[in-house]
Amino acid sequence: MRIGLLTEGGYPYVSGDARLWCDRLVRGLEQHEFDVYALSRSELQEGEGWVPLPPQVSRVRTAPLWGTEDDGVVYGRRARRRFAECYGELATALSRISAGDPSGAPEEASAAEADRFASALYGLAELARDEGGLAGALRSETAVGALERACRAPGAQRSAREARVPDLLAVAARLERALRPLSLDWYEDDGLGAVDLCHAASGGTAALPGLLARHFFDVPLLVTEYGVRLRAHYLTAPDATPAVRALLAAFHGRLAAEIYRRAAVITPGNAHARRWQERCGADRAKLRTVYPGMDPAPFAEAGENPGCADPGTLLWVGRVEPAKDLVSLLHAFAEVRKEEPGTRLRIVGAPSGPEGAAYLAHCKGLAAQLFPDEADGPHAVGDNPVSFEDVGGPELPSRADAYASGAVVVLASVVEGFPVGLVEAMFCGRATVSTDVGAVTEVIGGTGLVVPPRNPRALAEACVTLLRDPERRERLGAAARARAFELFTVEQNVAAFHGIYLEILSRTPVRRVVLDDAGEPLPFAAPAEAHVPGRWTGPASRVVARGGPGWATDNPVRAGHATEGAAR
Amino acid sequence: MSGLGELDRPATPNSPGAWDERSRECLDTGDPGAATPFDAPDGDGHPGPTTADGGLAVDGLAADGRAVGGLAVGGLAVDGLADGGLAVDGDAGAALGGARADVRAGLRSPGGAPAGGRQALAARRAAGDPVKALMHRHRELCERAVDPLEIAAGLEAHGITDRTAARFRHRDVFSLAEEMYARIPRDGDTAPRPPAPATPPGRAAWIVLTLLPGTLCAAAVAGLRLTDGRPRLVAAALGTLAVALALRAALRRGPLSAATHTGGIRTCWLVGYALLGDGLLRAALTGGPDGLPDGTAGDPWPLTAAPVLALALACAPAAWSAHLFAAGARRKLAASRGLTDFSASVRPLLFGTFALFLGALAILLAVTGAALDEPAAYPQALTLGALLLLARLLAVHGFGHAPTLLLTATAAAEATAVATVFAGRLPGCDLLAVPVETLVTAWGPAAVPTTACGIGALVLLFHAARRLTTASAHAPTETPT
Repeated sequence: MRIGLLTEGGYPYVSGDARLWCDRLVRGLEQHEFDVYALSRSELQEGEGWVPLPPQVSRVRTAPLWGTEDDGVVYGRRARRRFAECYGELATALSRISAGDPSGAPEEASAAEADRFASALYGLAELARDEGGLAGALRSETAVGALERACRAPGAQRSAREARVPDLLAVAARLERALRPLSLDWYEDDGLGAVDLCHAASGGTAALPGLLARHFFDVPLLVTEYGVRLRAHYLTAPDATPAVRALLAAFHGRLAAEIYRRAAVITPGNAHARRWQERCGADRAKLRTVYPGMDPAPFAEAGENPGCADPGTLLWVGRVEPAKDLVSLLHAFAEVRKEEPGTRLRIVGAPSGPEGAAYLAHCKGLAAQLFPDEADGPHAVGDNPVSFEDVGGPELPSRADAYASGAVVVLASVVEGFPVGLVEAMFCGRATVSTDVGAVTEVIGGTGLVVPPRNPRALAEACVTLLRDPERRERLGAAARARAFELFTVEQNVAAFHGIYLEILSRTPVRRVVLDDAGEPLPFAAPAEAHVPGRWTGPASRVVARGGPGWATDNPVRAGHATEGAAR
Repeated sequence: MSGLGELDRPATPNSPGAWDERSRECLDTGDPGAATPFDAPDGDGHPGPTTADGGLAVDGLAADGRAVGGLAVGGLAVDGLADGGLAVDGDAGAALGGARADVRAGLRSPGGAPAGGRQALAARRAAGDPVKALMHRHRELCERAVDPLEIAAGLEAHGITDRTAARFRHRDVFSLAEEMYARIPRDGDTAPRPPAPATPPGRAAWIVLTLLPGTLCAAAVAGLRLTDGRPRLVAAALGTLAVALALRAALRRGPLSAATHTGGIRTCWLVGYALLGDGLLRAALTGGPDGLPDGTAGDPWPLTAAPVLALALACAPAAWSAHLFAAGARRKLAASRGLTDFSASVRPLLFGTFALFLGALAILLAVTGAALDEPAAYPQALTLGALLLLARLLAVHGFGHAPTLLLTATAAAEATAVATVFAGRLPGCDLLAVPVETLVTAWGPAAVPTTACGIGALVLLFHAARRLTTASAHAPTETPT
């Protein structure tokens, strides 16, 4: 099968988001062919180059989403009129009351708006395909005028009505950037038309080429979202006037809805992403949660020796930043110390950014004030029960060593996405106490203690309970390790996507019919798995069962590979 | 597994929680619990319903405070942030810090005070309007939200989960956010607009650069006047090269820099014609020229250096005009509400700056004419200056197509005029030279460039009046993110 992997600011760039996941996916599914279509986010990213690509990546096509490119395409009168119509429709769809608004439109009206948005989007894409790049037109006065008319029209939402000229210009510029994938030359028969399946590594702009491939060539689209792009848009959108934010939010919302509507399967990375997708109109039948996979190998040693931990040590591992709420953890630790005086707390991790560095300094100050240095006797040199360390030094070469040293791993965050540190702790078979944020509960299941966020007392109580009960600690650790191996390994992730690929393909009509010599269509000429690992023939030839063809007895290719991968 | 966890959590919360007043106070003061000025509810735990907004929640608070009796500080201060829920902050965010510090004080102090506080908390939560208190706590988020999903995203970034939402009698964060969005008071006052972006720095550089071509041109002309023979040739060559390079540098930076490529060769041709063309035409009509110009006064093919020097000096006023136009348009852009308003207000600005430049050029022509003791060639130099300025303005604002076309046409017209005169000398082609001859006998050799550049400038002026008054021509260039 030939898979078009669509990324935005991700794989194969060295500094890309989620490149590790994509890399493992591509390497794990070597029986498929991958075409990578990557949109780069900045000049810096493009300059940093690519990660090494495995041979199953047959081609990489990239396009920049940055910079101001003028392709010099000047539309004729007819193309201009076509553009004005499509863009006007798009602007109207954006300026109307959004679907999620409780005060607004009834169901049919919002469906009509969604259709309007979709037809405008595909209209622009067809125009770009027929006449060349849209960049100039999207920044032209025609576009700005269309936006203005849409904002002033009756039925426009309140914030859009207040749009002024700079707002209109800002919206036009941002839309031009967001719609840049429309002008690409990827939608040819030898481009995205040649792939069997488009797999978008994130929602939003990355999935836009997939949407168009589906429109032009009926290529099925699979969308994987580990973080919901729409939500990221709300949180990271630069400060602007309400009108700009309203129109752009409408664009991203409608784009997300259209992507969810057209996608064959959507795979959220956790229940939280799933809830957002459902909220944005994704059909439940299409949703399959696929947890991100992690490599358990570095943590194997720590996981197999649960006894090596210091029974009186609490451990926190992660990147130091305000969202991790180390202050709360320190207060909780103060409570713990009252109950269990000999306990120590190790905080392992480097600060992220200048804000994190300042936060770390404050935390160190707070720890020094809350806990005086302690010594074993009158003649010993004392030290603080709270230690701040970083991995990479001679004492603590890796994170696995850090996990090995603690009896209980604590997570005190107030905000968390997919808690990678928690999964690592689970791989190490450590009992955990974590706050109920993000995907923590679904990750931990019943194999660790969960307390409300910002509740140092509850955190302290949970820690004390575990510190006093080594048996329970061991039990929880073992359960957590089993759960992590079941749900969060790379093999699980790759196998899930492999299954989804085959499932999608099995429901997609054959698009390319191969004819035999007589001109008759040849069934099964293009098998889903054209490449098999290893050699077809060799000294250790297969045993052919009597009365059946050789391929019937052969193990499914994937299964053999999976066991091999697990053995590694 | 880098990247996956971060993907879902693109922003760090910048308000309550992790790092806040509480922590800061802990560091600032030795004993935070005791030293913190606890200013929200005073003595009897009654902050007074100062705002309509805080009123409901505060009433409940006060009643509980009395019910529980003596636990004034500890009980009141534990206000639900212990378990991430609502905050009943009396009347200002400042109180929150004090309250938090006391949570910890309460936790650390032994005995029954925290337990009492918890009871008060439970009782208080039942009363009042928790969503209103939540809205008060996240009022910035609510005020700037453009749809419910934005509030939902913001709430989640502040650590509110579906479980927290259940305490507000909502199924999930989305429905809680919807209620909050629906309850935002919309009294019609619009949010203050962000200030207009400051003018980009680096002004000194372009001011100096725009003066450079004029200075070098003056030096070159002086060199031509003061030398003779071979050194004059060298001076002419060096002067031309220096002026061309300076012009290139001046057009690279500042308000005259254009992203698109415009015809440098055409411009050189037009300026070259202004320097040599009139003399050549006159010589050609009288049967010459017999040799290359030598720059002497009695030469039959004289150089007209004054207009060229004036044009070189006019780089500075041209840059200023462009700067004034761009800055004025930016201001008008920020002030205007509709596209038609903007066009109407920019049109006079365009004509004003254009007239300003022409005035400056006329003065420069008069000065250079007097200084070089040449007749000030007003018509041809003014039209050429107008043509070049308009072409540059259009190119600067992203319309490079029409200027290139017009400059080519003008240059071609001038070249054709000269060519026809020479072609008229061929046997049987007398008729070719007639139009130019008629024109020159009527108005002098200046008529040819004046007509060509004048028509070009007029066309460009009409074009500019349409194109440069649109808002999209003045769209701020976005900084790449």
